[in-house]
Amino acid sequence: MTTEKDFQISPIVPEAIAHNSKTLFNYQSLTASIFGVGAGILGLESYIGFLFYLICSIVAALFFYTLRVAPSSIASGKAPFDTSRYFRGALEFWTGGLTGGLAGFILTWTLFYGLVRA
Amino acid sequence: MTWISKTVTFTGLVLLAHACYSAVEHTTLQTTLSTTTVSPTHPSTSPASLPLDISLETLFSILTITFGFALGTSPLRPIQWRVWAGLIEREGEEAFTNADGEVSRDYVGNPFKMLETRPGFVDIRRQRKEFAEWVKHGRDKQLELL
Repeated sequence: MTTEKDFQISPIVPEAIAHNSKTLFNYQSLTASIFGVGAGILGLESYIGFLFYLICSIVAALFFYTLRVAPSSIASGKAPFDTSRYFRGALEFWTGGLTGGLAGFILTWTLFYGLVRA
Repeated sequence: MTWISKTVTFTGLVLLAHACYSAVEHTTLQTTLSTTTVSPTHPSTSPASLPLDISLETLFSILTITFGFALGTSPLRPIQWRVWAGLIEREGEEAFTNADGEVSRDYVGNPFKMLETRPGFVDIRRQRKEFAEWVKHGRDKQLELL
């Protein structure tokens, strides 16, 4: 648990946090729409579609981790799958896209389902 | 770096468009066949069953686009102050270029600038002494010249 004393000893940069969160959020929104297109083309329905979204989001987070976080994070001595160099919470990094991109996913999912099956 | 990401994303989008068009054609064909040949004993296959190659192409194109987007994101910045400041000290502007190779707009420069120029470290007495010596020597030199 980080206390106020810890922040005094090792301060953090708010601009860097905002920049990283914005980068991640843009990436997740864009990819969520693409997943929706895929789910619509495949003709997925109900729970299978949401399962597809869950799996795709985790895969997208893995891509982002290996390309952007892992090279410098592991070089600086952090353990694998530790995102604390760039993000404050690990949960925010791995599952933040689920809530942020859900609306875009459902939008394109229903649109392309209707386009293909009509 | 940026042209790799754009090429990968574009390839994925072309594949996705092709898969989408194929799926539309397939479902259209299915519905036309099922309406022309009426056979109550052999019910038409549901349009939900896509051929395997279209499904695989869709999945592959989604992965390609995601990979392209991940390549195109701008580099992240360390959130710990000491790591961030150390990165600026070591690499300067290069660490804060975005995907297009331009220095990002909120790059603030040397984080220790305020410390290095703070007026508390200006030794005013020493400067006064140096000025007095300069005045004296300058006058002596002028007298020598005359």
